[in-house]
Amino acid sequence: MALKKVKGNFERMFDKNLTDLVRGIRNNKENEAKYIAQCMEDIKQELRQDNLSVKSNAIAKLTYLQMLGYDISWAGFNIIEVMSSNKFTLKRIGYLAASQSFHCDSELLMLTTNMIRKELNSQNQYEAGLALTSLSCYISTDLARDLSNDILTLLSSTKPYIRKKAVLMMYKVFLKYPDALRPAFPRLKEKLEDPDPGVQSAAVNVVCELARKNPKNYLSLAPVFFKLMTTSTNNWMLIKIIKLFGALTPLEPRLGKKLIEPLTNLIHSTSAMSLLYECINTVIAVLISISSGMPNHAASIQLCVQKLRILIEDSDQNLKYLGLLAMSKILKTHPKSVQAHKDLILQCLEDKDESIRLRALDLLYGM
Amino acid sequence: MIKAILVFNNHGKPRLTKFYHYFSEDMQQQIVKETFQLVSKRDDNVCNFLEGGSLIGGSDYKLIYRHYATLYFVFCVDSSESELGILDLIQVFVETLDKCFENVCELDLIFHVDKVHYILNELVMGGMVLETNMTEILTRIEDQNKLEKQEAGITAAPARAVSAVKNMNIPQQIKDMKLPDLPQAIKDLKF
Repeated sequence: MALKKVKGNFERMFDKNLTDLVRGIRNNKENEAKYIAQCMEDIKQELRQDNLSVKSNAIAKLTYLQMLGYDISWAGFNIIEVMSSNKFTLKRIGYLAASQSFHCDSELLMLTTNMIRKELNSQNQYEAGLALTSLSCYISTDLARDLSNDILTLLSSTKPYIRKKAVLMMYKVFLKYPDALRPAFPRLKEKLEDPDPGVQSAAVNVVCELARKNPKNYLSLAPVFFKLMTTSTNNWMLIKIIKLFGALTPLEPRLGKKLIEPLTNLIHSTSAMSLLYECINTVIAVLISISSGMPNHAASIQLCVQKLRILIEDSDQNLKYLGLLAMSKILKTHPKSVQAHKDLILQCLEDKDESIRLRALDLLYGM
Repeated sequence: MIKAILVFNNHGKPRLTKFYHYFSEDMQQQIVKETFQLVSKRDDNVCNFLEGGSLIGGSDYKLIYRHYATLYFVFCVDSSESELGILDLIQVFVETLDKCFENVCELDLIFHVDKVHYILNELVMGGMVLETNMTEILTRIEDQNKLEKQEAGITAAPARAVSAVKNMNIPQQIKDMKLPDLPQAIKDLKF
């Protein structure tokens, strides 16, 4: 009896790990399907063992096979077992497998509620982090409703790493369980002024996504965002805010008027192309929404078109593409300003880059 | 929002697939194939933006990609993302891989795709950008690597020995070795 166990342990030592599996598949290119079928059998054997290390090894291999196109949902229960390990290393394997194969309609999700709740409240921020990251990929309406309070509590965690993840997670909760939004919103709003820049950025990200769907409801936050825009140096966050303003200005032209100056300043001062481009885009959106009566209206349009021409003339194909993209937005309301550059756009029609030709054609069609 | 992140080589073999919307495994493979076809026929000096394929869906989606040696890194994103920003993010991802694997190459991704996932999870969560600062990202990865090392500790020694043995290619016979049956008296002994 004991010897059988020794033999068992001995055999286990020769179980293929992920590296062996990958190597094996590469060495069996001729009969790949057959080789993998054999590996699947081995995996099923390993999943029948009690030892969680052995199960985790099997799940790690299954995750790899999922990438090759194999459905591994039949191992769902085993994945949950591995997620429940108290070792970070093994748990991580389970959570990754879950994020690659579970989806919001998976029936076994209800088996995970309490385990995830426990994980979220872990003292170890990386364990809580694992659960949040994994959950964000497959959260269902039930899980959203059951865990919304736990996640909300994490917004006040002492660890910025957790606060950041919890903020993003709340967006996923809102998508599946919209009732959570109203009570949670004040807390989310507070995070816009979180001392940690990463958490702040995450909060801006979430509010921007919410506002894209429902711009009207977020107009009241414009002052907060305005302050952030004029004080922050985090380009990612600035980009999100400026894009958001682009979506809000059609609803509130007065906001647009206030934005022209800071945006123009940014256009002149920033060295980040990504930020420059978004500023131009939003200035365009502002100028479109303000019909007239702005003293510097024409000058601002000229500035934008000028900057866009520079982008289109750049040898960097990416800037060319984005310049053309933005031009087509000006075209609708200020066709004359764009007409002046028809020559340049015609040139782009000859570009070897299909994406650029497409944009140029689109523009010319509108002219 | 990011809908999917795909890494595949110059022949279209997937090296990492992360979907932030549910697709069946068959659909996922089709998407990888279609994305590869779209991206591989592009020259190296054209722009890095492609209006999305029909599968991954819809006019609001773009493919933003970078080609490094033998690998394509493709992010499928909607209009809420900054094109140039995502291009930067891909660069941050690859530089992070480079720091974690020491001069990363395709083989590292082939044999350690799990580690690549753990790294990616520090940049993107649920299709939303989580962190763009490389120092912060590397710190988090380091911390978790430490946790792993601590847990492995002394129990890792046998595992390392086993790896060494496996690399020696010990014949299958040892695995099939039949142990002799013990006399009944010994079998009956209770410990």
